[in-house]
Amino acid sequence: MRQAGTYSGILSGGISGKTGPHLLPLARIKKIMKKSGEAVKMISGESPIVFSKACELFIKELTQRSWMVTMQSKRRTLNKEDVASAVMATDLFDFLVNLVSESPLEMDTSKYS
Amino acid sequence: MSENIIGALNDHDVGIKEQDQLLPIANVGRIMKQTVPQRAKISKEAKETMQECVSEFIGFVTSEASQKCRKERRKTVNGDDICWALTAIGFDDYEVPLKLYLRKFRELEGEKAAANQTKDKEDERYPLKFSFTGSTSSSKGANFKIKPFD
Repeated sequence: MRQAGTYSGILSGGISGKTGPHLLPLARIKKIMKKSGEAVKMISGESPIVFSKACELFIKELTQRSWMVTMQSKRRTLNKEDVASAVMATDLFDFLVNLVSESPLEMDTSKYS
Repeated sequence: MSENIIGALNDHDVGIKEQDQLLPIANVGRIMKQTVPQRAKISKEAKETMQECVSEFIGFVTSEASQKCRKERRKTVNGDDICWALTAIGFDDYEVPLKLYLRKFRELEGEKAAANQTKDKEDERYPLKFSFTGSTSSSKGANFKIKPFD
């Protein structure tokens, strides 16, 4: 028995391009990937798909940690300082430290060479 | 790697990233909302900060993955490279859910292709046959019967 309903969503652009079953737009993800460096020239069709899930997991994790800071301060509104605190408190998010600081820190470039 | 860091610093000095370098705030906000209790609120600035963090995340992971491809003399960054890069920078918890997700996607693509093939076969086996009797000038006047299929 044909199940047009199940597949037509996918065919009309779910996985192929628009948001559909993925929570994040694949074309935009691809654009951001390309901007990451000159060396990134070709990206397989699957990469934005993998990223859409990875970004979802990332947002959830950072949001959870930020919310814990909000709760500790007995507030119910998660603000950007909570996100910054969560970044500072987590080694995994070291690459975001400069991004969330109010004033850009002096970069110690020696540790990257 | 250091080139990317310097590039990133320049972006921040300039200020706001262009919108097409960020994932849409509505989508990002929705995922954040799913994560906190229902009555919790999320400030617009927090969502904007999250947008920037995600873009930074994508850039960081992609550059690790593309370096790996360069070393292995491959031109195309694929899903497995992304998974590898995530583990390399410390997000190894993501590996299992991502591999499952990728597998499901590949299965779905396979099913989609198979469904198209099945659909064509059904059309061949069960063509609908019908004939009109009477006038066909208006839909009211037309009588038609459907011949049962063989």
